[in-house]
Amino acid sequence: MTTADEQEEIVSEDSQPAADAEGASTDVSLLEREGDIAADYLEALLDIADLDGDIDIDVEGSRAAVSIVGADLSRLVGTGGETLEALQELTRLAVHRETGVRSRLMLDIGGHRARRRDELSELGRVRAEQVRDTGETARLDPMTPFERKVVHDAVAAVDGVVSESEGEEPERRIVIRRG
Amino acid sequence: MLEEALEHLVRGIVDHPDEVQVDLRTLRRGKVLEVRVHPDDLGKVIGRGGRTARALRTVIAALGGRGVRVDLVDVDRVR
Repeated sequence: MTTADEQEEIVSEDSQPAADAEGASTDVSLLEREGDIAADYLEALLDIADLDGDIDIDVEGSRAAVSIVGADLSRLVGTGGETLEALQELTRLAVHRETGVRSRLMLDIGGHRARRRDELSELGRVRAEQVRDTGETARLDPMTPFERKVVHDAVAAVDGVVSESEGEEPERRIVIRRG
Repeated sequence: MLEEALEHLVRGIVDHPDEVQVDLRTLRRGKVLEVRVHPDDLGKVIGRGGRTARALRTVIAALGGRGVRVDLVDVDRVR
């Protein structure tokens, strides 16, 4: 039981760039364009809010990756990354308006996602091993689709356990059981 | 600054950016940012299940607007 968002994440993580070179180059130029539009949108916001930050644009796999790096951007990350998710949502909409294509752009601010990915990966591994050793089913705290994807991957690397997501957003959470 | 930030955020996601208007009003019960958009863009600004409106409120709160309400004004209904 995974959401459409998680499915997307899974597809994007697993799939290799298209073999068709022409198709692939078109995709990359679209993703680069997505990054540029996103950067303009975010840069103007930083200017208005008088916040210092540099914007890096990259293409990771099949999606555009935009990160804002700077000294103190913690308020743009927010509690539990809430503000970061909101900004990503708005940025995707801004990109969609320009390109007409639904964007799966990934936004990071102050390295939050990168750090969180490491923490969650470790959490997933530790909890999966506990379930494997004790047989007791584990219910984790609610997480965003991005966070659940990271944990699912970490659990999948441990033999003898399975994970699935339960509940509705924003209370959707991962359950790990022996399997 | 909050008005300008909200106006920028909304303008970037609608089909009629020139018709976006944001006003900061001080009422007895507190401050309100009133957002007016072209009627065809209202659904866009609200988003599925109110998702986009919630994202706008979250960002405005983070930029210092905690306690400032964000209202989407339905132009059709106001008259």
